[in-house]
Amino acid sequence: MTAALGPVGVGFRSRRRIPVTIVVCLAVLAVALLAVLLGPLLFPDATEQDILSSLMPAGSPGHPLGTDELGRDILALTVAGAASALVGPVCVAVGSMLLGILLGTLAGYERGPLDFAISRWTDLLLALPVLLAAIVVSGVFGGGYWTTVALLILLFSPSDIRIVRAGVLEQAARPYIEAAQMLSLSRWRVMFRHILPNVSSLVITNAMLNVAFALVAFSSLSFLGVGVPPGTADWGRQLTDNRAIMFDNPAAVIVPAVLIIAVACCVNLVGDWLGQRLTRSGGLA
Amino acid sequence: MTGIDVAIDGIDGPTGPMVAAVAFGIEPGASLALIGESGSGKTLTAKSLVGLLPNGFVARGVLRVDGRAHPLDATDASWRRVRGREVSLLLQDPFTSLSPVHRCGPQIAWTLEAQAGRRLPKRELDLAVAKRLAEVNLPARVARAYPHELSGGMRQRVAIAAALASDPRLLIADEPTTALDASNQAEILDLLRALQIERGMAMLLISHDLGLVRGRTDDVLVMRHGEVVERGATATVLSSPEHAYTRALIAADPVLAIEADRHDRPDRPDRPDRPGDALGHGADIGVSGRIPLISATGVVKRFGLRTVLDGVDLSIAPGQVVGVVGESGSGKSTLARCIAGLEREDGGSIVFDGRPLAPGRRSRTPEQMQIVFQDPYSSLNPMMTIGAILREALAVGGRRPEEVPALLELVGLPADAAAKRPAQLSGGQRQRVAIARALAPRPRLLICDESVSALDVQVQAQILDLLGRLRDELDIAILFISHDLAVVRRIADTVTVVWQGRVVEHGTCAQVLDEPSEDYTKLLVAAARRDSTGRTTVA
Repeated sequence: MTAALGPVGVGFRSRRRIPVTIVVCLAVLAVALLAVLLGPLLFPDATEQDILSSLMPAGSPGHPLGTDELGRDILALTVAGAASALVGPVCVAVGSMLLGILLGTLAGYERGPLDFAISRWTDLLLALPVLLAAIVVSGVFGGGYWTTVALLILLFSPSDIRIVRAGVLEQAARPYIEAAQMLSLSRWRVMFRHILPNVSSLVITNAMLNVAFALVAFSSLSFLGVGVPPGTADWGRQLTDNRAIMFDNPAAVIVPAVLIIAVACCVNLVGDWLGQRLTRSGGLA
Repeated sequence: MTGIDVAIDGIDGPTGPMVAAVAFGIEPGASLALIGESGSGKTLTAKSLVGLLPNGFVARGVLRVDGRAHPLDATDASWRRVRGREVSLLLQDPFTSLSPVHRCGPQIAWTLEAQAGRRLPKRELDLAVAKRLAEVNLPARVARAYPHELSGGMRQRVAIAAALASDPRLLIADEPTTALDASNQAEILDLLRALQIERGMAMLLISHDLGLVRGRTDDVLVMRHGEVVERGATATVLSSPEHAYTRALIAADPVLAIEADRHDRPDRPDRPDRPGDALGHGADIGVSGRIPLISATGVVKRFGLRTVLDGVDLSIAPGQVVGVVGESGSGKSTLARCIAGLEREDGGSIVFDGRPLAPGRRSRTPEQMQIVFQDPYSSLNPMMTIGAILREALAVGGRRPEEVPALLELVGLPADAAAKRPAQLSGGQRQRVAIARALAPRPRLLICDESVSALDVQVQAQILDLLGRLRDELDIAILFISHDLAVVRRIADTVTVVWQGRVVEHGTCAQVLDEPSEDYTKLLVAAARRDSTGRTTVA
């Protein structure tokens, strides 16, 4: 999360008051971040099985959220699962953002055959159903966690590429870009120093949305048994595994489900707000 | 020891030496022509001899008038005793060198009274003014006229009378006929020659035009890039020039060029490609006749099936301001963009300083030309600070980032503007930044594509003043695109009227805007007059 939130402190000269909703969202995300960082330290043996204490309801002594079928503590499992649930989506969002910036800027600024090739490539990727492709590829290549991350980067990139390309197309026609061309600046300098900052609000907003989408996609994949191997601490995995004990210990399902929804919503809201701030600070969309 | 003796050790500008050591003498009753293109240092040389160098310029050396030495770096107060008494300066533009709110008579009378050191009785003064006017072949009634009631030639005669009223030992005439049409040019120069001989006065005639001084000065001095490249008797230099540059100047003889230009006009409407025109002998060498800095010949541009430019010729001499007018859709902006390389022309040739340029940006360098766009809101990167924008442009010209404050000062902005972003500046301020950015690589041609159209009238006037000042200080040529005749009149030397992708009329501002010969230009001028009643601009 740090990478995506970085720009909050940078580039704004006038510090306006941050809305309460955003403060709450940032707090939720900060707690999630803490869980990612401290989870392994607090609960090093979260996945340790203990058949003797299986299926304890929430509020049991020593197990505030109860245990699952295998006797694993839900609280420990949920905290430890934050890393797996959040790191992947953030990597997907950042990865597809970088891919989108590179290919989208090239396509939008260079135009011509390169634009054609990149645009048809995005069309092809967009035509693929994300989850189906993920299931097939994971099935074929063994479905490791990082294979899934790579695959989702590829599948998420078309939206980034298209958004960046559209933004660059709009900026490239503006006189300040022609002024840069009059100075015979290199194309890389024009693309990445002049145009990119002006489409950054689009890029960052979209990346934040992608974090939320990837979080849900990861959970779905884990739910389908593809993304995260069984036995790993992961929110999506918890949903899959604990479906059967939903009535014995509802917390085992509700807690990770609520966390997925909460984090996805917060990232979305923060992304929206950040996009607006960036737009206003620059004066151009 | 009589006569004028000049020994300049050098003139330094804010950016380094501008003129190297120059020394010359002029006998009483003799005249010397100082010839050179814009940027050669001829005007700086002239101004250093009256202590009127622009801010930031320092001259070292000494001027001797009949043996009396005047150091060139003297204070303004001591210069005031020299100016007008020993040395008079006749300026290029009779439209601005006379006060517009005073009648012509008093403007001559002031000098007469200053010379006499006392107030003169009215009768005596009127007689003296009439005598001075008669000397420049003007009737006495001109004394009661305001400058705007007189033609350009008459105004320049009044200016000459005023300059000579103090009976100076040296008259410096700085391009005294550039603003006049061809027939007036010869008359004024002949008049100056006659007066100079009659009065036994020394004259230094500054001109870009070797042809004009033929038979009108005794000696000639040719300057280029701040150095004297050739000197000698006028007749000798003209008949057997030694330096290649002098030969090039003679080759661009203005009289021939103007004649050719006139004969050329009738067949212009449906001109086919004329291969012999590439270097513009028969085409536009520009009314002033200098070697063109840029010349576009037969430029054609199509957008799909629409032909936007249909064989346009345009040529700009170094330091010249050429206005291109036309209504929207006439193709004038497309022409500017083809010259700048932002659009690729489909036919014709564009030659910069003798070198043909291929279509597109890649054949052009930032030092050749820069452009200032119409809209100051979108022509600056909103995410960059002014300082960053200017540092980048300076780096392109190989200049140091420390020059940002000087660059801001040049366009009349405070140094603290560097820390701001475009959104924090007004439209006029932004346009100044855009001009500063365009000037940073020291281009030789500045293209202004409707650069003042988006600004309100007062700011417009400020920016026009700025452009005029920069043109004088930096000797930069300007291609000024506008739909607004009043604006063009204020800044341009010559005007080209474009209609439906073709040049319909071309000539000096006065010729084209006061006496338009083509129907379309007449319409345009009439429309501007109507327009001016509703707005504050004056056509």
